[in-house]
Amino acid sequence: MAEPIGSSCLAVNGLVTGYDARNVLTGVSLSLNSGELVTVVGPNGHGKTTLLRAISGLLPVRKGSVSLNGRAISGLPAHRVAANGVIHVPQGDLLFAGMSVLENLLMGAYLDSDQVAVARRLDEVFSLLPKLAERRTQIAASLSGGERRMVGIGRGLMMKGSVMLIDEPSLGLAPIVIEQIYEVIARLKASGRTILLVEENPARVADIADRIHLLDNGAFVWSGEPAVLLQGDELLATYLGG
Amino acid sequence: MDIIGPVLVAGMTTGALYALATLGLSLVWGSLGMLNMAHGTLLTLGGYAAFTAASQLGWPVPVAVLAAAAVGGLIGALIFMLVAYPLSRRSPETFETTIMIATFGVALTLENIVLRLYGGQPLGQPLSVGGSISLGRFVLPWQNLVIIIAAIALMAATALFLARTKAGRAIRATAQNPDAAKLLGVPVARVYLQVLILSGILAGVCGVLVSSITQLSPSLGADPMLKAFIMCVVAGLGNLPGAIITSFALAIVEAVVQFLAGARWGFPALLAIVILVLIRRPGGLFGRVEMRRL
Repeated sequence: MAEPIGSSCLAVNGLVTGYDARNVLTGVSLSLNSGELVTVVGPNGHGKTTLLRAISGLLPVRKGSVSLNGRAISGLPAHRVAANGVIHVPQGDLLFAGMSVLENLLMGAYLDSDQVAVARRLDEVFSLLPKLAERRTQIAASLSGGERRMVGIGRGLMMKGSVMLIDEPSLGLAPIVIEQIYEVIARLKASGRTILLVEENPARVADIADRIHLLDNGAFVWSGEPAVLLQGDELLATYLGG
Repeated sequence: MDIIGPVLVAGMTTGALYALATLGLSLVWGSLGMLNMAHGTLLTLGGYAAFTAASQLGWPVPVAVLAAAAVGGLIGALIFMLVAYPLSRRSPETFETTIMIATFGVALTLENIVLRLYGGQPLGQPLSVGGSISLGRFVLPWQNLVIIIAAIALMAATALFLARTKAGRAIRATAQNPDAAKLLGVPVARVYLQVLILSGILAGVCGVLVSSITQLSPSLGADPMLKAFIMCVVAGLGNLPGAIITSFALAIVEAVVQFLAGARWGFPALLAIVILVLIRRPGGLFGRVEMRRL
């Protein structure tokens, strides 16, 4: 099911990738229009993170293609994919543990030499995530889990890009902190950002997702609107174990 | 106790040299996970480059020192491009082992080239300063003062570069989390190249300083390299401030032991300290196990 390139901001076509001899994804296609929030849900270990890593060039694409605003980006090394405008907020944050919050955020603006623009984006990040302004001189390793997640998202927001990949932002957080993080994501969507979000639990993303893809065993087994997925309890039971 | 002064001066001088050698070694280890066995050879090449520039080409002293830095940086760059980069691409899992063996080969090759070109007999390094200043009964040779100041200045400049510049921040970020750095657009291979050039520059100048109080020989860098490795292990590999503090402390201990018990006891004393530290703290004095951070 090839989807048209050009009309979409991010387009993935027949993506096959994996580790060593094993293919983890066996042909995944999806597309995001500008301003959409699309979610990939599915049980752990079925390739959600692998999909994002392949899009952002950390993992080589074996077959198929990825394009951004009509330009092919599959095959490029990760730092070139980033320069093309793919923002990837990775699973587990991958912060620079020995650096301060501010330095982590400034690393997000590594590719931008326009100091005025960087300062402006820093202000925007601090107003979206005020906690980070309080913690700006604190070393990342000493932050709480929720604060670390916010630094990860804030660091991504310091990049210039046309699509944002967010990998399981709820991972390892307390329910109340998860809610805070999802409030931030909802505000990002409201501000017009294009977001590809990976999450384990479909109920969590039902309110904000424009479309949901259900990933099972390396391929999408269901795609559609969140309301439909939540009504079809059978699907959830089959693929997510209830 | 007029003897305390000279012992302390000797300890501080070798401490400064060890610290400078250690900084370059530790920088490369901390960022690439690469134990550069050719680091000592970069010192040797720096010493010979300055010698050639000053006494054979007749260049002024500052230019000769720059030549040493340039040769060190250039060879460092070549080691990355021709050896480390291809090895890390081909088999990243075994890189930490293969690069040790490969750079050991590079060291042997380069040392023998120096031997062919300059011969094995020791040569005098023309870049040395005579005379001394006396502060009361305390006599401080200019040469030692120059070495201590130059080494500290270079270390301070390196620390400032890493802490304050965008390139330095990218080096630290890459050392702490290469995948995250890539996702933010950092060309990680180019950062590694910069680290090897920086390490080579430090080694080149360090070689000039070492040869200015000893003599030039093809194995000039071997002893500082060995000591630098000891400092790295005692401090915890990859920990820069810890490595520098350790260098000064152990060099002073070495000087004191050499004075009290005789010169031949200096090195065994260092090794004994290494063993004791590793028994008590396997990650090094300042290191946590598996810590690799700049």
